[in-house]
Amino acid sequence: MAEVLVEIKNLKKTFENGTEVLKDFNLSVNKGEVVSIIGPSGSGKTTALRCATMLTPISGGSISYLGKKATWEENGTVHVANKHDMKEIKQSFGLVFQNFNLFPHYTVLQNITDAQIHVAKVPKSEAIDRAVNLLDRLGLSDKRDFYPCNLSGGQQQRVSIARALALQPKVLFFDEPTSALDPELTGEVLKVIKQLASEHMTMIIVTHEMQFAREVSDRIVFMEGGVIQAEGTPDELFNAIGNTRFLEFVGKYNM
Amino acid sequence: MSFGVILSQLGGGMVKSIEIFVLTLLFSLPLGLFVALGRMSKLKILSGIIKIYIAIMRGTPLMLQLIVVYFAPYYVFGINISSGFRFTAVIIAFSINYAAYFAEIFRAGIQSISIGQWEAAQILGYNKAQTFFKIILPQVIQRIIPPVTNETITLVKDTSLSFVLSIAEMFTIAKQIGAREASIIPLMIAGLFYFIFNYIVAFGMDRFEKKMSYFR
Ligand SMILES: Nc1ncnc2c1ncn2[C@@H]1O[C@H](COP(=O)(O)OP(=O)(O)O)[C@@H](O)[C@H]1O
Ligand SMILES: [Mg+2]
Repeated sequence: MAEVLVEIKNLKKTFENGTEVLKDFNLSVNKGEVVSIIGPSGSGKTTALRCATMLTPISGGSISYLGKKATWEENGTVHVANKHDMKEIKQSFGLVFQNFNLFPHYTVLQNITDAQIHVAKVPKSEAIDRAVNLLDRLGLSDKRDFYPCNLSGGQQQRVSIARALALQPKVLFFDEPTSALDPELTGEVLKVIKQLASEHMTMIIVTHEMQFAREVSDRIVFMEGGVIQAEGTPDELFNAIGNTRFLEFVGKYNM
Repeated sequence: MSFGVILSQLGGGMVKSIEIFVLTLLFSLPLGLFVALGRMSKLKILSGIIKIYIAIMRGTPLMLQLIVVYFAPYYVFGINISSGFRFTAVIIAFSINYAAYFAEIFRAGIQSISIGQWEAAQILGYNKAQTFFKIILPQVIQRIIPPVTNETITLVKDTSLSFVLSIAEMFTIAKQIGAREASIIPLMIAGLFYFIFNYIVAFGMDRFEKKMSYFR
């Protein structure tokens, strides 16, 4: 039996200004699965990730991690898990931002160790070991004492991936991890994500890199106008008889 | 009266001026930080009260504030004021006045930090206090050094206002000697003192700014 890590049910999100962004978003992700979310700009992909990672309160539906409800709506009231459960829930996921959001006043090593030491209460020497190990895997060993401002965008994004991984999340979300990068730098970041996929890291990735999504994903979710238009394995969706809206969208990316 | 004697009399005033300067910074900077946080509070009453406080501090003369603080215990609480309270009143008045200016500088600095920094910290599990003091504040401090330097330089010159409460600071003494000797020299020396004092302050702040520029 596959273990369900993330379960998003009937997710609705309407912003304070009345914009209804998510209408009925459903997504269930198993342990070890890689799911890509693609779709036109403004379709609600970022909003879906922000709701899933508790950065934005939901308006309806529910979000659960490992069978525990993180937030849910009942009779018009939105609830969140109690403090104890929430702590556990928050430790189960990580998020990689489009624009990295590294801490500029910390070195690469500090960026990766600080939350381990001060949030997860990992002993300092172990935190450093983990960081050094991750930097090694992501090809950044020689950058440990650099400040983010002295790194390229691709290196910064790899550090932010290392920062997230250091807390050993069960699932990692990515919001367009390469769209803030110069084209020649996207490859190094995509390579790292592929490497994680081969190690069976559970990942939910919003991306515009169609070829990458096709290669790395177990499942692709195609969003448009706040709802899921199509969902399936890459083969199913990219097949000539796949969803026409999806093929139209992908066609714009010259595939 | 020889130059040496003038200098030695002015010396005591210099020490007083420096005391006022140091104590004011010591109290007004942390106070300003908390005032800024209150000003940004979601609690409408708190942010409202603080807005009024800032408006009064910035909108009325510091000299008047010095007098009000000094006489407040008598007029409000009927407490007899001892002359020893004068120096305390100066420090209180300067501190709450400068805290208002520093608060606005802190507020602008805090608001200039991208929301992504808060969100990254939240995702990594930092609590609110850790996020503010470990992640946000160091970046704020780096950015506000130039406006804080400006205020600090103004403070050096403002210390002379404490003459209204007959504090024997630099300027008060220079004026006294000048009147007694019918000479402008003591005042010129006082001017030189403020200039050198500010030169040192600017130099120190410049060093601090360079030291803090290890990140962007
Ligand atoms: N804070 C907000 N307030 C109001 N509307 C928002 C807010 N954030 C996003 N939106 C709107 O929600 C829609 C979906 O945005 P987003 O989730 O960023 O789409 P995507 O990531 O797919 O490009 C857009 O129309 C956007 O204008
Ligand atoms: Mg987006």
